[in-house]
Order: sequence, then C-alpha cells, then structure tokens
Amino acid sequence: MPLDYPLHERTLPNGLRVIVSPDPLVPTVTVNIWVGVGSRHEVAGRTGFAHLFEHLMFQGSQNVASGEHFEALLAVGARLNATTWFDRSNYFETVPTGALDLALWLEADRHGRLLDAVNQANLDNQRDVVKEEKRQRYDNPPYGQMLPDLYAVLFPEGHPYHHATIGSMDDLDAATLEDVHAFFRRWYGPNNMVLTLCGDLTAEEGFAAAEKFFGPLPASATPVPRPPAVPARLEAPRRFERVGAVPHDRLTIGFRLPVDQTPQFHAAALALDVLGGLASSRLVRRLVRGSQEALSVRATAWGLVDGASIGFLTLDVAPGVDPHGVEAVVVEELLRLAAEGPTPDELDAARAQTERAFLTALAAQDERADLISHYALLHDDPGLVNRHLDDVLAVTADQIRDAAAEHLHPDQRVVVAHLREGEDQ
Amino acid sequence: MSTPRPEVTAPGPWHQPRPREVILDNGLRLLTLDLPGQEVIACRTVVPVSLSEEDPAHEGATAMLARLLDEGAGGLGPEEFALALERHGAVLGAGVVEGGLSVDLDVPARHLAAALALLADALAEPLLPESEVRRVLRNRVAEYDHESSSAPHRAARELIATMWSPRCRASRPTAGRPETIEAIDREVLRARHARVLPAGSTLVVSGNLRGLDVPALVGDTLGRWQATGVAARAVAPEPAPDAARIVLVDRPGSVQSEFAIGCPAPGRSDEQWAAFPVLAYLIGGSPNARIDALLREDKGYTYGIRAAMRPRAVGGSFVVSGSVRREVTAEALTLLLGELDRAREGFAAPELARGVDFITRAQPGRWGTSDAVADEFAALALEGLPLDQPERSMAAMQALVPDDLSSAMARLGVDGWSIVLVADAETVFEPLRASGVGPIQLVRS
Repeated sequence: MPLDYPLHERTLPNGLRVIVSPDPLVPTVTVNIWVGVGSRHEVAGRTGFAHLFEHLMFQGSQNVASGEHFEALLAVGARLNATTWFDRSNYFETVPTGALDLALWLEADRHGRLLDAVNQANLDNQRDVVKEEKRQRYDNPPYGQMLPDLYAVLFPEGHPYHHATIGSMDDLDAATLEDVHAFFRRWYGPNNMVLTLCGDLTAEEGFAAAEKFFGPLPASATPVPRPPAVPARLEAPRRFERVGAVPHDRLTIGFRLPVDQTPQFHAAALALDVLGGLASSRLVRRLVRGSQEALSVRATAWGLVDGASIGFLTLDVAPGVDPHGVEAVVVEELLRLAAEGPTPDELDAARAQTERAFLTALAAQDERADLISHYALLHDDPGLVNRHLDDVLAVTADQIRDAAAEHLHPDQRVVVAHLREGEDQ
Repeated sequence: MSTPRPEVTAPGPWHQPRPREVILDNGLRLLTLDLPGQEVIACRTVVPVSLSEEDPAHEGATAMLARLLDEGAGGLGPEEFALALERHGAVLGAGVVEGGLSVDLDVPARHLAAALALLADALAEPLLPESEVRRVLRNRVAEYDHESSSAPHRAARELIATMWSPRCRASRPTAGRPETIEAIDREVLRARHARVLPAGSTLVVSGNLRGLDVPALVGDTLGRWQATGVAARAVAPEPAPDAARIVLVDRPGSVQSEFAIGCPAPGRSDEQWAAFPVLAYLIGGSPNARIDALLREDKGYTYGIRAAMRPRAVGGSFVVSGSVRREVTAEALTLLLGELDRAREGFAAPELARGVDFITRAQPGRWGTSDAVADEFAALALEGLPLDQPERSMAAMQALVPDDLSSAMARLGVDGWSIVLVADAETVFEPLRASGVGPIQLVRS
C-alpha cells in the first residue's frame, strides 16, 4: 500500500521546482535544495571541484558576509549543512518556523548572487579546509583509500564515477577563481535546482515564500545535457591490491549495477542484502558465524543515475586467514544465488529490513525532505517518496535470482584488497 | 534586486513531551510516548549495571555480554534468532557505559508484540553459545587492533588513561583490552548476566502507538522477566593525580595530528549544568565557534575541531577533539590552548545569547522522531534525572548571565589539561618541544 505523505508541487517561471510537504509534528521547517551538479560533471584536471565549490557557498554572497550564513542560522536554532555526491549537491537547514523567510533569503542570495563575494582569500582558505577534510577522511585513516580505489577500478578513466567526490590534491591546487565563476554560471540557478519545504507550514505559505525570495532570480544555469555514460559490461574480474599499515586484510568486492529506480536495481540491492547485508545473510552465516574466517561482512548498494550504480560487499578477513579462500567462498555464494535465488525466509527478511530502514529515513523531517528533492531532481518524480517502498517490496525471488546472475556474476567482479603489511600473501 | 533581509519571528510556546509512566510487578519502569506519524517504534531498555563491579582480570565482560544478548535466546539458536528479528523488520542493538547496559529495538508498529517477546528473551534468557562467545571475544581483540590504528580512537583511549586515575575503571576501555578479553569465558559472562535485573531498569517505547496497548504487550513479555538482586549503582570516576600532562602517541606516517584535550567536568545533575553546554558550544560547537573561527576559517589548518560536554551517569568530562595537518601541529596546539585560556576571560552578553538561542531554539526539532525521543528519555533514566530535566535545563539556560559562563569555565581544567596527540612523532616532537608547551611524554604503540 503506498504511503501518503502530502506533496504539493509548483514550478516558478524561472524554472525552480518547488515541493511543499506539510507536517505539523514539531514547529520547524526543513529547507532542502538539490542542485543538478555533482562530481560526475567534473572535467579532467578539476576533480573535487563541485565539493570545493559547495564549501565556497558558505563564504558569503552579495548581501551576506563570509561565515554569516552559518552564524545567522545557528543563532535562530537551525541545524544546517551541505554535501556533494556523484550525482548532485545539496544544501539544507531545519529552522524554527519563524525563521523560514530568513533561511530562504540566505539561500536565494547564495544560489543567485554568489560571485560578488568570492575572492582569492576565501578560495585559498577553503581549499586548505577541503584538503584537511581529504586527509581526515581518506589519507590518515586505515582503509581510507578503499572507496577511491574501488571507483577507479570499477569504472574506466573518463567515466563520471571513476573518481571520488573529494578529488585529488593536485586538482584542488589547480582550481582558480575563473573556474569558480564558470562553474557557478553553468550549474547554479533556479532552472537547475529543486526546493523542498517540509514541516509545519501550508502549501500556499510555502509557495508564497519560495516565490518571494527565489522568484526574482533569473533562469541563469546553462547545463549541457548529455546521454548517460553507460559503461560496457565487464567480462573478466579485475583486481587491485594495496599493502600498508592496516590492522587486518579487507576485501571490497564491487559490481556495476543498473541505474537507480529500476526493478533491476532494486532486485540487485536485495540480492546484496541476502548475501551480506543482514545478520541472517548467507555470507554472515557461512564466513562470520560458521567458519569464522571473516570478522564481518557488509553489503552496500548506491543507486545512481549516470549509466550505472555501484554495489559492493566488504569483508574483514580474520587474522591468519588467507583472503583468497574468503574470496573463493564469496564466488561460490554469488553463483549459488544466481542459480537458486533466495529462500522465502531470506526474501521476507530482506523486504522487512528494507521497509524498516526506509520508514526510519522518512520518520525524520529533514531526511524526508532530502528524499523528496532527490526523487524530484534525479527521477523527475517526487511521488516516489510514497511509492518507492512498494516498488521494492514488489520484487520477486525470481527477479533477485536473475539480477544476481546478470549483475553480480563473479566474472564481473572488481576486487580491491587492502592487505596488512608484512604478512605472507 | 534582492528582497530586504527578513526579520525572524520568535518561536511559539513549546513544551517538552512527557511520557506516561507505569511500574510493572517485576520492578521494570515503563515509559511510553505516542508520536503520531512515527511508524517505526523505538524501544530503549536501560539496565543499571556498573562496570566497576567487573573483575579487573575480566574487564570488558559486560560489553561482551551486551554483544551476545541477541546471539540466540529463549530457545532459538543464533541464526534462528537473527532471522526471527529480521523477518519482523526489527533491529536490535546493545551497548554499555558506566552505569548502564542499553538494549535498543526498532521495529515497525505491526510487529511490536513479536519483537518485544524477542527483546524479553534476549534480556532474560540469552543462550550465550560457546561458538558465538569465542567469536565475539575474538572479534573484540580484532576491534582493539582497529581502534589502535585509527587516530581518533587511539586518542580517546589515551585520553581516558591520562585523565582518570588508574585505580578507576573509567581509565580503561569499556569493552576491555586483549589481555582481559582473552581471560573471559562463558561462566564469567553468566555471572555478569546475573546482574541484569528488571528492578531498577527502564523501558521506553515511543512512536505511533495508536491502537496498541503497550502496557499489556510489555506486561506479557518483559513483564514476565524474573530475576532478583539489588540493582547496581554507577560509580563516579576519579581524576588522576597527574592528569595535567602532554602525551604524544607515535603513529608513524600520519599526515594529520589528532588532538584530544580534556578534563573532568560536571554531569547533568549538577546545579550549574545549564552553563556547560553553552560554554562548550561557544568554544567549539560549530564552524563559527571560537576554535574553528581561528583554526579552520582563518588559518585553514583543520576540517573541524569540536568541544563537547560528555556527561556520564555520575560526573563527566569536557573534551576538545579533532585533527590538523601535521606541519602545523605545534602552532595549532598553542592556538588551541590559547582559546581555552581566552575562555577564562569571559563571554560578552551577545555571544552568550547566540549560544543560548542556538541550543534552546533547536530543542523542539530534536523531539521529532521516535528514536530521538526514546534516546532522550533513556539517557535521563540512565542518569537518574527527572523526566522534565530538558525543559528545566532550557529555562535555566535562558536565565544565564555572562558571569555564569565564567563560573562554569572556572571549573574546567583548573589544574591543567590532559593533552593527547596521536601523530607522527618524528615530525612533530621537536617543534612541539621547541614551542615551550611543556614536558612531552612519548608513547610508542
């Protein structure tokens, strides 16, 4: 049965798509903006730029001083941030209802009038901050390079998902003020964004506020559409090893999955859950509880839109165990799922866990707003917030078996192994 | 043309939700709160246990017991129990802090009855099968290695060892060390389980409870949990006599230096509590707080350094933590300590107001989901606080004057700070020494 979160939608003359979802539980409103630019749009030599740019959005705009965005919103009790991902950038704050106009005014100023405030000093400062973010998240922790390694092996050079959102130090160093101006002119503007307002307000209040603050902005973005970058099918396994100061051997086994919001993607995601995403999953039973050759198994499926999605299993190998033996078991289980499909119990468990996880995400006003913007911007269908769960629950055991055979075949796997220094391999 | 900057209208009145409270025959306290629209029900169980009761040779036994509660119970083996939970869309997690064992359950409303039965079994009759005991203990030893190689975890471990007296349990990892974990067996865990009692425990259930008779559902499940004994009391940690020192843990090759700077601090039951979260927020609670205004937005040395109060069941600590690139380690430490000193000079009224406004106005938004609400009441139960403490604390914050922050700051780090760095010693030791920050104790690990 579909969910029934209320959705009211209107597009302003300048192209801004506005969605209002009233919810009176607490006296707050989430302002959530998705902009149609992410790391997949970056050009060679400028990896990491979409994210660096997102940082500059907090450094002032025509009528807002550097740092004032944070300061003004925190002073009224807002929770706010922004993130960059392969497919998009998002900007969001949850504010007490009396601060909604202020939040929209601040957002409109930076989304429409940023360039007056950008200068070399704040570009240099945020470049340094982003480099520290890279060191903190990727360069200093054990296994920090796991995901960048996975993307680089899973997709060919030049593919939109070949590089991580954080980019490279060299490319961050190369970014110039001219790049900032060109990037803003190309990608930012009401005609390349979605604004969702979710919380204690009516649809008419939301539309009026959006019109008041964003209505005066011109349709300034000039995105250049291109067809999705569908990668060729992998015909043989690929492997990448990194030996270093890690506590244990870790294997990440990745796959190119179909694009998001297709029955094939949903089926592949459920197949990964059956293999390694649940406490009752096959690889957990066999390798973690059974032979105890693995310390843990996890499964991840990220739905993406540019020709492919990403799915992977992560296995921490127990001390003294040969990682090749662990990988061989994974290969067996991939083939078995492709041949037999899930049992009724496994299908029940994977469906029930998907349902709880999705309902939990929707329970929070800010996450719900983010999902509405997501479905509107990337799938042209905010109503998916009410139907997505039914789409997933409709997937059958046969579809999961077929998805495993088609998209999780061992011949198509990419293995990234981070191995402990000084051990025999 | 831009629209004129809008005025902010003051928030309307808001009252913190209050749960219904029932005490069951077995002594279990049940708190329920109906939250319309919240379809995933959050259940939080808080059992008073004290880690100080652990045999020093078996430290970590309580945490290991927590991890084993759902590895088979009530006649189901580990795999059957996992499948039973998952088929009901339920997820169960358990953890331990000084003063309490918490067992959390999240489940869609229609499966609440079945999931409560599984929760009751996990608490009352965990199977603790030998093979799972071995696995969980071995995984903890592996986890300890992971924590040793992760700079923030390594820093946190060294900070407690520096700040708290070696005589007190708080100075050592909650989940134990390899030598204590390897000494644990099933009998040790059984003995710890004998201290898991319904009397004195609290179960919080929040979410859309329409059509659910929660007291009856709980009465049929956790209400039948029988075990007797006297509930444990949390023990206050004792500061180390030599807590004020600088410890550098060598982590060769680190491209960043991780800081953890701390001192003992009051807990939430302290009369002056309201001032402390405001103080921590103004010093290091956001990108425009004093520390990040200098070290991030001005200098570009860090992605972010945070200051926070860490209340415990009794007492607590104040901790500043984060990382900077290794080349600026000595200068960053000097600047950080300078900001802590500057906090002793007091805060002007507008800065105080910014802190109070943020915390008090953000408060209603923190009560919007079943899990957040249940977590809040569970924390109050663990700390033995009245259920209206958050609202009282908000009112006390609104009455703060600048002198209150000065008095609060005068209770932090008075005898100096415990300063831990996890960094590449070869690069950072000499600049640190030359900066005159004080004697540095080097730990190779």
